[in-house]
Amino acid sequence: MKASQVKVCVLRIEGTNCEEEMFMSFKRLGAKPEKVHLKQLTGTDVSQEEKRDLSDYHILALPGGFSAGDYVRAGAIFAARMKSKLSKDLVEFIKAGKPVLGVCNGFQILVETGLLPAMSGIMSEFPEAVLGTNDSARFECRPTLLRKVNRGSCAFTSRISPDKISLIPSAHAEGKLMFPLDRTKAVLRELEDNDQIVFKYVDPEGNLAGYPWCPNGATENIAGICNREGNVFGLMPHPERVFFRFTHPDWTRETDGPGDGRAVFESVLDYATRKL
Amino acid sequence: MVVAEVRVELKKGVADPEGKNTLKALELLGFDGLKDVKTVKVFDIYLEDGGDVEKKVDEMCRRLLANPVIHNYSVKIK
Amino acid sequence: MQRVRDHFRERGRNPTDVELQSIGQAWSEHCCYKSSKVFLKEYVFGINTKQVIDRGDAGVMEFDKDHAYALRIESHNHPSAVEPYGGAATGIGGIIRDVLCMGAQPIALVDPLFFGPLDYPPEKVPRGIKHPKYLFGGIVAGIRDYGNRVGLPTVSGGVWFDESYVGNCLVNVGCVGIADKKNIRRNAVKGPGDVLVLVGGRTGRDGIHGVTFASAVLTKETETESRGAVQLGDPIMKEPVIHALLDANERGLVNGMKDLGGGGLSCVVGEIALAGGCGAEVDLGKVPLKEEGLAPWEIWVSESQERMMLAVSPRNVDEVLHVFKLWDVPATPVGKVIPEKSVRLYFQGEKVFDVELEFLTAGPVYCRPCSVARTSGKKGDKAPKPKDRYDRELLKLLATPNICNKDYVIRQYDHEVRGNTVIKPLQGKLGHWSHGDAAVLKPVEDSFRGLAIATASNPFAVGIDPYRGGKTCVDEMCRNLAAVGARPHSFTNCLNFGNPEKPDRLWLFREAVRGMGEVAKSLGVPTPSGNVSFYNEAPSGAVLPTPAILGCGIVRDIRKCVTSDLKREGNTVAIVGATAPEMGASAYYRLTKSHSRRVPDVDIQALRAGMDVVIGGIERGAVVACHDISDGGLAVALAEMCVGGDVGLEADISKMEKLRSDVRLFSESNSRWVVELRKGKEKQLPKDRKTKVVRLGTVCGSSLKISANKVLVDVEVAKLADSFNSTLWRLMG
Repeated sequence: MKASQVKVCVLRIEGTNCEEEMFMSFKRLGAKPEKVHLKQLTGTDVSQEEKRDLSDYHILALPGGFSAGDYVRAGAIFAARMKSKLSKDLVEFIKAGKPVLGVCNGFQILVETGLLPAMSGIMSEFPEAVLGTNDSARFECRPTLLRKVNRGSCAFTSRISPDKISLIPSAHAEGKLMFPLDRTKAVLRELEDNDQIVFKYVDPEGNLAGYPWCPNGATENIAGICNREGNVFGLMPHPERVFFRFTHPDWTRETDGPGDGRAVFESVLDYATRKL
Repeated sequence: MVVAEVRVELKKGVADPEGKNTLKALELLGFDGLKDVKTVKVFDIYLEDGGDVEKKVDEMCRRLLANPVIHNYSVKIK
Repeated sequence: MQRVRDHFRERGRNPTDVELQSIGQAWSEHCCYKSSKVFLKEYVFGINTKQVIDRGDAGVMEFDKDHAYALRIESHNHPSAVEPYGGAATGIGGIIRDVLCMGAQPIALVDPLFFGPLDYPPEKVPRGIKHPKYLFGGIVAGIRDYGNRVGLPTVSGGVWFDESYVGNCLVNVGCVGIADKKNIRRNAVKGPGDVLVLVGGRTGRDGIHGVTFASAVLTKETETESRGAVQLGDPIMKEPVIHALLDANERGLVNGMKDLGGGGLSCVVGEIALAGGCGAEVDLGKVPLKEEGLAPWEIWVSESQERMMLAVSPRNVDEVLHVFKLWDVPATPVGKVIPEKSVRLYFQGEKVFDVELEFLTAGPVYCRPCSVARTSGKKGDKAPKPKDRYDRELLKLLATPNICNKDYVIRQYDHEVRGNTVIKPLQGKLGHWSHGDAAVLKPVEDSFRGLAIATASNPFAVGIDPYRGGKTCVDEMCRNLAAVGARPHSFTNCLNFGNPEKPDRLWLFREAVRGMGEVAKSLGVPTPSGNVSFYNEAPSGAVLPTPAILGCGIVRDIRKCVTSDLKREGNTVAIVGATAPEMGASAYYRLTKSHSRRVPDVDIQALRAGMDVVIGGIERGAVVACHDISDGGLAVALAEMCVGGDVGLEADISKMEKLRSDVRLFSESNSRWVVELRKGKEKQLPKDRKTKVVRLGTVCGSSLKISANKVLVDVEVAKLADSFNSTLWRLMG
């Protein structure tokens, strides 16, 4: 399939607010993104022409924001709404090997839905992880550096060389990835074995470092994970904000080259054009 | 009408940055003798009578109000 | 009151309570600028260029051939003083709507804040007034939670501290938006027959008489009495309102729209109808309510948040309602436009209001008396003792709350959501950051044209000499914009002053406006919108006279923009602009408890020349870092550039004007910048005989060394950073 045929569903509800830059990131690479309201997939309050079917798309992208105000818990309401109406469609979508991306609030939604880490199967009945309040208890908007630790399973990072450090900025109040306390070690080992850990927060030398390089206190500095098949990927930092060099925080010091986030979108389009 | 009070709290051992920061703020305001501050979320849910209310509310907790990775919850029917 | 009585006597009936409440609202200072109109008209409204497209709720300016941008700033002082979190949050909500109702997509927020000292002794805070630290925490959190949730980057602003703000903090909020020119709408109906559709939140008792409250002096009774007048905002109502409204507007379904701000329905209905040369009929019974049992007058004047009024042609009403339904935003037709210039209200089938619009909106204009303020004139001049070294003074200045790093605040605001923030508020080498002068957005996808946004205010200068202070504020705005490579294009201001019924306070206002207008006029930079906030007084006195400016500039190609952090060892550093012994209001004089009434003046020719040199140098690639010289003077500007770049600098200031060393180091003379020049391109910096450029030294090492025949300052950059970075974190715990 050609990139121009890849249809991307950029899914939103009230409070989603990073859909424009997510949409543009796919569009700039020649794909066919569309901003779709959850109601258009569930068929609520929409006319016949506005109705959409998830299976018509090749990539599903959940952008950042504060869906439903992040009330109850970040991403929880979006997740509950999606799970109650779209479970079957989602499972089929993922089973077909189609990629799903969740950034920031989108990652929180994937975790709350049980699509990540998805230790067994495609979607767990209850969440198996959580993105909890940052250790600082504050919203943190700052540049973060991510080292790619994925060994090749993830469909979203094939264009990023192993151990490369990418500048992908963070902006969230709830990004501390945690697993059940009594099983953290076992879960981490399993994620490691399954090659599900994708990015870790590091300092400029590439070492796992504390605050502020790790803005939230996440377990093992983990910034992003994928499912076992590598086609569902969630991360807290925002690759769509650094599509171009000139939105890097320090680009006036080093003006050449593309933005570090671009490779995430190139990778998944590569995957889609080859596999779908 | 029935009112179900749902109390969602963090499991023992899970960090509570909001509680910790509130504790610090209270101490800075000059309150002494503070041992700890914990954040707890309470939802009052108003339901029609009839049916298995407890089961219904339990389902609400499992599907939306609590995340089992970090939360314990309890339900009190008032 | 006499005018009201006469008006109804002529009509042979008594006014209803709806009518009385409505007139009270419409004629308050906040809505009709009773005291300020005269001066604003004389000094600033006249400035015009052909780029001004509209002066509505927000001003609209041309961005490029196909696009326009909208800008506005306003105060939310009194509500924020009473309920900091909710007050600040609703302030943001209101300003976003002002931009939105011009048909523009909001793209950036700006918020200058003014507080009492964070370490002010709690026992000295007057009863009924909240401690500055509490206000600061709550207001920052309110802006953070609202701004971040609606998904708009907060890209510029500032925090000022002074004792005069203890009794009355100032919270100003600004917003900038962008639109295709064809989507720009006026705040007006198209004509008779238009249906008035009320969209957004429901109407409740919250926020009744907020406007008249905004124009009152705060007293200790205010707190309990006025809780009811602070509105509660809901960002998750606002965010879908933005989507739905822009969607409906882009489809060409909306004829005109207007925000329900101060005065609620009572102001919006009359204004939107009259602006289209018509009147309106509204059925108050159709307005969706938050609670049962509101009286018609309460519905009419309520200032509940998140509401807007749309004028829609009858054939488009259904489609508009459908768009809002998709976003779960209530939208209700509540009335229609009529040819007669009157407002008629119905409630449960009964006519409860019938007033001619020209009477309702013709608020009184006062020409109140002014007299020269007896401000700090009693203080004579007192200069600090000259010293051999100024290391300690520099470190102390860097640590003062008015100068120190504001990252504690800035990092709580999302400043890059929407992915268009090219030049960010914090700048530097990774892991190091200092303040930038202006933020730059790239609002149009297929164009490298940029919109620069800067904030400027200098209440200390205005307090000593309002005329020069006003000029200084505009100069600072221009400096900030030029420092990133932008040409000043327009500005909007929020003028926060004391009680205008006191002649000395009104004099301060007039002089400040005169100063601002003079500089803006000769530069041809228009003010397409603005806001006045009077009565900023507590029993302890008025706040410092505080004009806060939001300036917009145009960058031809964002790829040429520069930041303030020093870039590379071996590059030359120079100062652009002339330094004079104008030490009044300077941070250095305040630190050393010295006094001077000589506040920096503005030489408009030199300002223009300086901007040409700086912007030209940036566009030609000769300038790689630039920082304006403001609070704390040259020494602080150099220190901040070192901190951001994490690199040292050796500067020799002996070639500057023949002045005392501390004046050279700390003078805050206007129209000055520090530039770092790219090696081998130094000659590309344009020359202009109306301003001077003096080479200071070279980027090198890890210390800031400043000398003039002998060493004046020699401090390691790490130590400078430590002083600069720690203050707010320490004060806020």
